[in-house]
Amino acid sequence: MKTKKSLFLNALLILVIMFAFTASANAGGKVYKLGLSLAITGPTSDAGNPYSKGVEDYFKFANETKILGEDTIDCTIRDDQYKTDITKRNFEDYMDQGIVLYLNYSTGSTLGLKKDFEEEKIAVIPASFHRGNLENSNYIFLPVASYSEQVISLGEYVANNHKGSKAKVALFLHPSAFGRGPLADTEAAVKAGLNIEIVEVVEHGKDLDNTAMLTRLMSKGVQYVISQTVQSPVATMLKDAHRLGLIASSFGEEGKITFLGAHYTGGNDLIALAAEASENYFWVCSYNLTSENNEGTKQQLALAKLYGRDEKAANSHNYANGIMVAQVSTEAIRRVKAAGLEVNKANIYKMLNGMNGANAYHPYTTVGPVTYSPTDHAGVDMLQIYAVKNGAFKKVGVPIQSEYMKKIQ
Amino acid sequence: MSYFFQIVVSGIVVGSIYALAALGMVLIYKSSRVLNIAHGQIIAAGAFITYFLTVSIGMPIFFSFIASMIITFFLAMSVERIFLRRLIGEPIISVIMVTIGLGSILDGLIYLTPFGSENFSFPAFLPQEPLSLGGVSISWTQLVGVIITFILIGLFSWFFKKSTIGISMRAVSDDQFASMSVGISVPKVFGLAWATAGLSAAAAGCIIGNITGLNFDTLHAFGIIVFPVIILGGLDSILGAVVAGIIMGLIQQFASGYLDGNFGLNGTGDVMPYIILLIILLFKPHGLFGIHEIERV
Repeated sequence: MKTKKSLFLNALLILVIMFAFTASANAGGKVYKLGLSLAITGPTSDAGNPYSKGVEDYFKFANETKILGEDTIDCTIRDDQYKTDITKRNFEDYMDQGIVLYLNYSTGSTLGLKKDFEEEKIAVIPASFHRGNLENSNYIFLPVASYSEQVISLGEYVANNHKGSKAKVALFLHPSAFGRGPLADTEAAVKAGLNIEIVEVVEHGKDLDNTAMLTRLMSKGVQYVISQTVQSPVATMLKDAHRLGLIASSFGEEGKITFLGAHYTGGNDLIALAAEASENYFWVCSYNLTSENNEGTKQQLALAKLYGRDEKAANSHNYANGIMVAQVSTEAIRRVKAAGLEVNKANIYKMLNGMNGANAYHPYTTVGPVTYSPTDHAGVDMLQIYAVKNGAFKKVGVPIQSEYMKKIQ
Repeated sequence: MSYFFQIVVSGIVVGSIYALAALGMVLIYKSSRVLNIAHGQIIAAGAFITYFLTVSIGMPIFFSFIASMIITFFLAMSVERIFLRRLIGEPIISVIMVTIGLGSILDGLIYLTPFGSENFSFPAFLPQEPLSLGGVSISWTQLVGVIITFILIGLFSWFFKKSTIGISMRAVSDDQFASMSVGISVPKVFGLAWATAGLSAAAAGCIIGNITGLNFDTLHAFGIIVFPVIILGGLDSILGAVVAGIIMGLIQQFASGYLDGNFGLNGTGDVMPYIILLIILLFKPHGLFGIHEIERV
């Protein structure tokens, strides 16, 4: 009898404790669930790893500094190893958990899950800036200008700064949807009057030596190579060009090649991989870089320090990329709350679409404001050209916006 | 004309590195008839161990290179001892499946370290200025890579032809039961084959990593990239791997230099080696130097 009584008392005590914990958790405010699926390991994880750290750190910061008051964001981050089937599984699981906003990563999985996003009517911010993500899609929001816009902007920069007759350009592309994406748009821009000639389009492999390709391009009079790929193949190409004495010492130097590239080709990793061959590499990006000290980068470095990130992650533009996506997500939720609406998929979607004009959002990580509208789902339209000078990326001029992208859209 | 010679030099450089990367697979096949699908992961592991010893421990790169080959020697030997020893006598397909699983395990282990997801590069230890002769240039990295490749291939060829252990390994490859009947320890031979394959993989990893940078995705892909080299060479022939590697390197560079960008063609540098491989295999199904076995029943 005594044992039964003590069992009953123990059970009652456990129930009381559980109730107390639940009550205190609820009193702390609402929890908004988000999900991120990305390549922390596997192909492209050199970008995905710091990206995930940026997302994680900013949401932690937002919760600790009570940007959403007593409410908090619970963002589950899972590795998909760059495999679309795993991404799909993660996304479906997140949907079952009741997420209100989804953060995706690769071009392949964003294209592959486009229909799912439409069916679920959930806003999605991927790390892929592929313009094709936006075709026949209402719910995908690119964080920054598309790869197409980046490559066309570089083409415009070449056309505006090249001396002599029409500039001869080669495109060096990753053999995937991610790499090929900007090709048709760049060709359309040329047709629309962009004053460059695309002499050759090269899709690279895992090349150990680019001598044949580089000398062939030289023999065709190519003076500019614009890359849309990742850092490693660009670094190998730059090292070969350096060995062959082909790298222009200044922009457009005659008889030499000036190398340029879009977002995922550049950054500190490229300098580490290509060493002195990276000098004078021109790179376009929508993010502030820590090699250019400003208010934004100070906050980025402070965030990294707060959560104990190493120097490599702290200074990565992909860390900034992750922070920015978390900033936009947090801001959209904050605005939904401020409007007195329920934080759900529909209202976050509505708030993202209204992020323009006076309501444009200015994250500290980017070179321009985030401006979404129902007809424009590319976030930051401004692009900054950087070039490697003495082993660091430095700004070249002021942020630009592509003219020809508007013409071909 | 210097363009032609430049392409020849580049083709030989690329080809000899392919040969070194293929060597480990050939060594294992030569003694145990097993295709090691996890070879790319061992190549990557060798490169990362060298980097770790050089940058984190502060060892001079030459000693790191040697130490990494020794470590990978024992690592590969342990892998054989733990995972493959008990499969002796089992169907070859079972062993190959185990090497696929082994590749996944090694992937997972490397992903647990920063090497699985970040880019690294070896500190510069060779002169940055290339060597030029008659309009043909070659970087010190490439030159040293080619020299190391030929030294290692020469050593392995000697080892298999002249040393007692090497001859034992060839005997096991020919007939395991006959070898056992004359007192050769088949398990020891298998262990040694894996160990020497690990050693050559580490050397290949360091050379490739010094050219492309240390990226796991890039490095382990070379385990697959060298497949046509091994098949063309004849699977179990060291000389075959060297000749096939150089043929593949030359085809790749010539296709890239003379076909790509002309006649509306692109990417032939990647495709041509496979086309040539198919054509050669039509006429020589066992590869250029493969042993044509006749079974009497």
